[in-house]
Amino acid sequence: MSKILVVAEFKNGALKEGTKELLSEAGRLGIPADAVLIGEGVAGEADVAAGLGAQTVYVADAASLAIYHTLSYTQAVADAAQQSGASMVWLNSSEMGRDLTPRVAARLGVGALSDVTGVTVDGETVTVERPCMATKLIQKSRFKHSGVKVLSIRGGSFALNDQPACAANTVALTVPEADARLQTLGVEVEESNEISLTDAPVVVSVGRGVGGPEGAEKARPLTQQLGAALGASRAVCDAGWLPHKHQVGQTGTQVKPQLYVALGISGAIQHLAGMSDSKIVVAVNKDADAPIFKVADYGIVGDLFKALPALEESVAKLKG
Amino acid sequence: MDIIVLIKQTPDVALNIKVNDGALVEDGVSWVIGGWDETALEAALQMTEAAGGEVTVLSIGPARVQEALRKALAIGAHKALHVSCDSTDGWDSFQTASVLAKVLEGRSYDLILAGKQAQDSDSGLTPTMLAEFLNLPQVTNITGFSDLSDSEVTLRRKGDAGTEIFKMALPGLATVNDSMAEARLASMRGIMMAKKKPMEEVALDSLGLDASLLSTDGVMIETLGYETPQLQKEGRKFEGDEAETVPQVMQLLKDSTSLFA
Ligand SMILES: Cc1cc2nc3c(=O)[nH]c(=O)nc-3n(C[C@H](O)[C@H](O)[C@H](O)COP(=O)(O)OP(=O)(O)OC[C@H]3O[C@@H](n4cnc5c(N)ncnc54)[C@H](O)[C@@H]3O)c2cc1C
Ligand SMILES: Nc1ncnc2c1ncn2[C@@H]1O[C@H](COP(=O)(O)O)[C@@H](O)[C@H]1O
Repeated sequence: MSKILVVAEFKNGALKEGTKELLSEAGRLGIPADAVLIGEGVAGEADVAAGLGAQTVYVADAASLAIYHTLSYTQAVADAAQQSGASMVWLNSSEMGRDLTPRVAARLGVGALSDVTGVTVDGETVTVERPCMATKLIQKSRFKHSGVKVLSIRGGSFALNDQPACAANTVALTVPEADARLQTLGVEVEESNEISLTDAPVVVSVGRGVGGPEGAEKARPLTQQLGAALGASRAVCDAGWLPHKHQVGQTGTQVKPQLYVALGISGAIQHLAGMSDSKIVVAVNKDADAPIFKVADYGIVGDLFKALPALEESVAKLKG
Repeated sequence: MDIIVLIKQTPDVALNIKVNDGALVEDGVSWVIGGWDETALEAALQMTEAAGGEVTVLSIGPARVQEALRKALAIGAHKALHVSCDSTDGWDSFQTASVLAKVLEGRSYDLILAGKQAQDSDSGLTPTMLAEFLNLPQVTNITGFSDLSDSEVTLRRKGDAGTEIFKMALPGLATVNDSMAEARLASMRGIMMAKKKPMEEVALDSLGLDASLLSTDGVMIETLGYETPQLQKEGRKFEGDEAETVPQVMQLLKDSTSLFA
């Protein structure tokens, strides 16, 4: 019998959309699901997980678990996996999930697959699709071993089917003891009232073509007009023209907005890997052969400094 | 402070990658050190420059991986260790990590560094599995380090909510995000010196591995094939005066989407 254990994640104390997507998909596949909630002050979300279909919710709630910690989280997930008897453990391909997935799999003595974008379950056979080679190829793989299958899945791979909360059947896990070999010193959160890249319906990104920090700032009025997040290529972040949190791409943030506007970005494969899933791409580049045009719905061959004022004017007009 | 850097030789993903009948075409591939592994080597060099000690680069693979190791020596690594085999095709991360664990058994090191993911698989599974097999603490996706001593190091990691900061006891393992540092290039002098640096070769067969591990029964993850996704869009290109092309594009956007509704 198949059963999925979903490893939950939280944002501001609430279940993340990614977690809800995984529970939704389990329901869609008709496979029973359990969930494991690890953190501080997270027990209250058990009912939300139950509403989304989690039959048993394993909870490890303690101050020592407030910040993600590889060793204690691995122990809690492995414990929940064993108690639940799940045939699969599903995680998100977040920074936490990427770190935890292989460690949990190795702890359980099995293989793992990461950054999965599609899962097919046929009885005991689990086949997945995932991008590789900087998204130049799609790899199709299957778990060959018996026993539990551990995989991390990219956000947005499954649709979210939100449901009202209901009373959860919870099981408290033993809180793992602190492992002195890895001590958490803190987490630095960059306070900002800027719109975050992952949530924004529109992303306006700047590349080396903006020429410097002043050039990068020139894109801000357009982002405000469009309610867009400001993105950047690695070249811009490495040069210090914008902080690294703006970086879009394989190492930076992977975005899938309704509209992606690329200004002075050449379109290196590692950048495309982070934005080519955008619904509509508009690119401005003075080089007609720039690779970014291959993924653009609308390519404007021209100078971004001339295009920017025209963009602002057009948007103002169209918004009426 | 002795550091082992895991190096995977991968196809250069910036160049054309071909698939034939679901299989990767190796003919015409240009083999390089994966981008993230280059940063891991850079991090190791910065650490030994700060705290002394040696950097050993380690790679499992056929004879060609010695080119990657030789390049790492030219960039500044002190020693290389080549675990030689005919091919690693079909191995999964579990197997690779198991072999690495066996290779490192009985060797001494303070820290193992690796790229956050290999530039071909984009998996990021092998180093962490290795850390589990060796029972080492780990911090992945590091963007910086400080307070390095023989017994511990402070590591900054890009986490989900911001930068997470950990003090890790040594020996331990870390994987490196490319934003940590710009990797240095090999100098002419480095290339000359690399020729005299030690390259130890260990045959896979001599490791005394459990025969079942690398047999087809030992494979946990079977890759069925690769496909080339349709990346190229049938987009439209507009050339000429921006004052004309931009409003044209924006009008088309308005007509075809609900963005300005
Ligand atoms: C391991 C690894 C990971 C990486 N991860 C990422 C990542 O996450 N994100 C990322 O972005 N990159 C990443 N890169 C780097 C990537 O390979 C490129 O180097 C980078 O994306 C280039 O940035 P760019 O397009 O801004 O700069 P360039 O390639 O220099 O392009 C600048 C473009 O601006 C155009 N231009 C110049 N002036 C103007 C003007 N006035 N008007 C209009 N156009 C103009 C030029 O024609 C050119 O096309 C990674 C690389 C490696 C090895
Ligand atoms: N054959 C190999 N030899 C040495 N190191 C490897 C090998 N395969 C993977 N690694 C290391 O593990 C990292 C992650 O690989 P992967 O899990 O495939 O993404 C690579 O960047 C290397 O540092």
